[in-house]
Amino acid sequence: MSRTWSPLRTATGAVLAAWAGLFWFLLLTGRSPLYLSDRTAWVVPLGAVVLSVAAAGRLATARSEATEPLPRRTAWWLGLIVMPVVLVLALPPAALGSYAASRRSAVAAGVVPAQGLSSGPVTLVHVAAAMWSPDARRQLVARAGTSVSFVGFVSRRAGMPTDEFVITRFLVSCCVADALSVQVRVVGAPPGRFAQDQWVRVTGSVYPLGREVLVEASEVEAVPRPDRPYLNV
Amino acid sequence: MELVPSVAAPTRSARNIALVALALGAGGLLARAAQGAGVAQVQTFVLIFSSLLIEALPFIVLGAVVSAAIEVFVPGAAFARLARLPRPLQMPVAGLGGFAFPVCECGSVPVARRLVAKGMAPAAAVTFMLAAPILNPVVLVSTAVAYRGREVMWAMVLGRAALGLLVALAVGWVVANRSKRELLRGGHEEGADHGHAAALPRGRRRWRGFFEHLAGDFVLLARYLVIGVAVAAALQTFVSQSVIGSVADTPVLGVASLMLLAGVLSLCSESDAFVAASFVQFGAGAQLAFLVFGPMVDAKLGFLYAGTFGKGFVRTVVVVVGAATLAATLWFEVLLG
Repeated sequence: MSRTWSPLRTATGAVLAAWAGLFWFLLLTGRSPLYLSDRTAWVVPLGAVVLSVAAAGRLATARSEATEPLPRRTAWWLGLIVMPVVLVLALPPAALGSYAASRRSAVAAGVVPAQGLSSGPVTLVHVAAAMWSPDARRQLVARAGTSVSFVGFVSRRAGMPTDEFVITRFLVSCCVADALSVQVRVVGAPPGRFAQDQWVRVTGSVYPLGREVLVEASEVEAVPRPDRPYLNV
Repeated sequence: MELVPSVAAPTRSARNIALVALALGAGGLLARAAQGAGVAQVQTFVLIFSSLLIEALPFIVLGAVVSAAIEVFVPGAAFARLARLPRPLQMPVAGLGGFAFPVCECGSVPVARRLVAKGMAPAAAVTFMLAAPILNPVVLVSTAVAYRGREVMWAMVLGRAALGLLVALAVGWVVANRSKRELLRGGHEEGADHGHAAALPRGRRRWRGFFEHLAGDFVLLARYLVIGVAVAAALQTFVSQSVIGSVADTPVLGVASLMLLAGVLSLCSESDAFVAASFVQFGAGAQLAFLVFGPMVDAKLGFLYAGTFGKGFVRTVVVVVGAATLAATLWFEVLLG
């Protein structure tokens, strides 16, 4: 008996191929840092290869002796599985912003290392360590007045003076779903020049005040969103 | 007359595909318009939704690959021999299997389903499924890294491993008397078990069967993963994490609220310790509850379990895992002083 292409098997193979295509797309365009940390970036090539093999295998065995139509219900299920692929490809690249920062936890002790804080440049990862670790905070207090240069996006709290804002950056361990925020209050910024969620580079002197860290800005400039918008640990 | 369905079927299939493609195109345009209009909630939801799926889906496929390989390459007699071992021996061995099979929770579900279908005792397969995402070396090392520099580091790592195994054994013991038919949900389209022949297929038929089972498991589980991840992303987008902070000092409520949060966030077990370590206002017992409950019960797993197992399984897992974790972590808190 002759074999014909089974719509059911072909559609399943196409769904696997669509997901494989998404992983290849992320790999080739370098967009995976928008979703994953460096620690889990290996998932993307793994997904691309395994899904490609699965799609090729399913399509190679998609000819069937029996008639296998694609029922409407199954078609909708397959559409649901493909929907995230469509969303990622249809939407322009983006990163978590001030709305997410208002609803998520801040980083804590143990999560970020404080190595290099006693000497060398002070980074936002060091600030994250100093937010909760007494030892890191002591080290940061000893560096009060040191020149820093932080890149992050602008967020504002209710009642803040016009020449102040909060510069925020997310720290990701595996994927964006586990993002924790690092925030630094910036004073002496040009009033009203930077909109919410605008990415900026703040240069100035750093001062820890209790659990809050403050930067007295000498220069604030708008910068494009970095290719790697999240810090990693 | 026989020709009618074979002529009509491709047309009907093409119509169904066109309808779904149209809906997908419209959905993509709608999401683009919402993001273009600067709706922060849409952007946050899509980012969390996509990142959870991008991280979890390869593990679903790997789980489906292992599951299909078990079906096609491992003779059923091997599992029948295992099933004859005494239960008190079978269940801990299955639970400790996570050390040898380091996958997170999404990958262990299709494997457990296939193990039951091939004849392994349901108690052992369920114990493996629940313990593997915690008792694997990657997860235990990431827990140690997240808590490094704190006095409770070893208590958290060892407590997580021991409690994860104990809770998984408790659920395995509760479902031990259920038969394969009672435990597994039957009747899936591509996901159906196509009648297991006693002898394994050979040659090209073997590979045909392999890809058939692989695609079947993928389609079955991926759709529940998408629904579960959508629920988790919506909760992460619209519910502020600060709402649970007010009960941090209340012993039972503190533990229960972090268990609830673990269920909502649906994090991968390889990264959840970093988030748990950030809840410094909560006690170590509540953080341990987050680390044990989350890899066994969360929004995405709820849908995966519901699509894989029979009626009542989700309720059993939630009740047993919830009660055992709550009781054990309260004792853990007392013992730590």
